[in-house]
Amino acid sequence: MTPFPTNSGESRPASDLIRVRDLTKTYAGGDPSRPALDRVSIDIPRRHFVSLIGPSGCGKSTLLRVIAGLEGYDSGEATVFGTSPKAMCANKAVGLVPQTPALLPWKNVRRNIALPQKVNRRAGRGGEDPDDLLRMVGLGELGHRYPHELSGGQQQRVAIARAFGMRPEVLLMDEPFSALDEFTRESLQLQLLAMWERMATTVVFVTHSVREAVTLSDEIVVMSARPGRIHEVLPVDLPRPRDTALVNSPRMHAMEDRVRASLESAWQAGAAPDDLVAL
Amino acid sequence: MTTQTPARTVPAPSRPAPPARRPRRRGNRSPFHPATWTPAVAVLLLLGAAWTAVAAEHPYILPELGEVGTALVTSPLVFLENAWRTLRIALLGALIGAGSAFVLALVMSEIPVVRRALMPFAVVLNVTPVVALAPPLVVAFGFGMTPKVVVTAIITFFPVLINVATGLRSVPPPVLHVFETLHASRLEVLLRLRIPSSLPYTLAALRVVLPLSIVGAVVAEFVTAGSSGGLGTVISNAASTARLDFVYSAIFCLAALGVLLLALVTAIEHRLLFWHESQRRASS
Ligand SMILES: Nc1ncnc2c1ncn2[C@@H]1O[C@H](COP(=O)(O)OP(=O)(O)OP(=O)(O)O)[C@@H](O)[C@H]1O
Ligand SMILES: [Mg+2]
Repeated sequence: MTPFPTNSGESRPASDLIRVRDLTKTYAGGDPSRPALDRVSIDIPRRHFVSLIGPSGCGKSTLLRVIAGLEGYDSGEATVFGTSPKAMCANKAVGLVPQTPALLPWKNVRRNIALPQKVNRRAGRGGEDPDDLLRMVGLGELGHRYPHELSGGQQQRVAIARAFGMRPEVLLMDEPFSALDEFTRESLQLQLLAMWERMATTVVFVTHSVREAVTLSDEIVVMSARPGRIHEVLPVDLPRPRDTALVNSPRMHAMEDRVRASLESAWQAGAAPDDLVAL
Repeated sequence: MTTQTPARTVPAPSRPAPPARRPRRRGNRSPFHPATWTPAVAVLLLLGAAWTAVAAEHPYILPELGEVGTALVTSPLVFLENAWRTLRIALLGALIGAGSAFVLALVMSEIPVVRRALMPFAVVLNVTPVVALAPPLVVAFGFGMTPKVVVTAIITFFPVLINVATGLRSVPPPVLHVFETLHASRLEVLLRLRIPSSLPYTLAALRVVLPLSIVGAVVAEFVTAGSSGGLGTVISNAASTARLDFVYSAIFCLAALGVLLLALVTAIEHRLLFWHESQRRASS
C-alpha cells in the first residue's frame, strides 16, 4: 500500500479538488489511540463520482460530515475546491442526502424540494424548478403529497431531488439507497447517474454495497476500521454512461471481485469491533 | 337462444348466500355503532342508578338528579354567566402563562446559559402544587381579577415551558445537518425547523394545561369567594347554605367547560398536526 493513497487528482490544483490531508479526528469520549479517522488523506477531483466503502464504524459518515463542514477535527485539513467546507456551505454549494430522508413532515413534497431556495437567500443561488426536479426523480405527480404519504424509496428520491435543487458543486450522500429493494435501488442508481451527468457535480457517496459502488463510481475508496484509515483507492475503469447491460457484464463482475478482495483485506487490517463476540 | 344454455348448465345456488358480514376491526368502528357507545351508556345508567339510590338515602351527600336538572333549567343565566366568568379567567390566565412560557422556552433554546440557569427550577416548580399559591396571591393582589389570572397563569406556565423546551430540541440530527449545509441562520432554523418540530409537544402541553387552567380559576374563586363571581364562588356559596343542587349543577358546568377546552385542543391538533404520527390513526 502506498503511504499516500490518492487517486488521479494528484496533479490538479487544490481549487479543483476536495482535498483531505492527514486528517485525524477523535470523538469526545472516544479512544484516543484509535481515532475515528486516523491521518486520512484523499483527493477527490471535481466532477468525479467517488464512493466510500468499508466496514461498519470505519468513519465513512464522519469523513462525509467533515467534508460537509458539520464536524470538527483534531489535526490535518480539509478543503473543498480551495476553500473551507463552511465557506462552501455559506455559498449553498453543498448538497447533503443523509441516511434517513430527513424531510420536513409538515411540508408537502414540492415545498420540501423548494426548501433550499427558501433558506439562506443571501447566497443568492438560483435553483432548479421544483417541478423539473420532481420529474427528474420520477415523482412528477406527487408534488402535493406529504412525506408520510410516500414510500421509503419515494421519500429518498425527494431528498435527492432537494439536494440537487441548488445545483450544488458537491453532493454528499450517506447510504441513500440502503433501505431499498434491489430493483428500486438499481433504477434509482441509474437515475442518479443521469442527474449527475447532467449537472456535472462532484459526488461523494457512502455505501455498503460493492455492486452499488462499482456501478456508480469513478473511484472507490476502501476504508478500514479502528482506527479509521483509507485502505486503498480503486479506480473503476468502466465506460460511461453506464446502463443495465454494462451493470450485468463480466467486466463489472471482475471489478466487483477486486473491490470485495480489497474490502476483505481492509477488514483484516482493522481491529475487530469490540462488540462482536465469536459464538 | 343459445345465450341461455350456459346459464342453465350453471347449477343455481340452493339458497341465497348469507349477506357477507365483514368482521370489523376493533377501533375502526364508527362512533355511532351501538357497540361503540353501549358500554359507556351502560356505565352511565349504572352510575345514575347508584346516584339516585344514595341521594334518596342521604340527601345531604347527594342531591336528587332531578333537582340538579331543575336548578340548571330554572336559572340558566346564573350558570351561564358564572361559567363565562370562570372560562374568561381560565383562558386569559392560560394565554398569559402559556404564551410567556413559550417565549421563555425559545430564549432557553437559543441561549444555553439561560437554560442551564432556569431549567432545574422549572422542573421543581412543575411538580410543586402551585395552586397553593392562591391564598397568598389574593393577599398580594386583592380580590379583583388579578390574583385569579395570576394563579391560572402560574399553573399553566411550567408544563408548557418544559414541553416546549423539550420540543425545540427534538429535531432529528440529519434534518439539522441539512439546514446546516444550507448555512441557514439561527432564526431560520428556529422558525422553519425548531418551532414546527415542537408543535406536537406544545399541543400536548395545552391538552394538559387548558383543563388545569379551570382548576386554577376555580381554586382562586374559592379563595376569593363572596366578593366575586365565577362557578367557584357559586359552589362555595351554595355549599355553605347546603344548596347541593346548585353545587352539583356548577360542577356539571365545570365538566362541560373542561370537555369544551379538550375538544378545542383536539380540533387544533387535528388541524396543525395532520403530519404527525399522533394523528395518523385518527385520520385513517
Ligand atoms: N457522535 C459520536 N460520538 C462518539 N463516537 C462516535 C460518534 N459518531 C461516530 N462515532 C464513532 O466513530 C467511529 C466512526 O463512525 P462513523 O459513523 O463515521 O462510521 P461509519 O463508517 O459511517 O459506520 P456505518 O457504516 O456503520 O455507518 C465509530 O467507531 C463510531 O462509534
Ligand atoms: Mg455511517
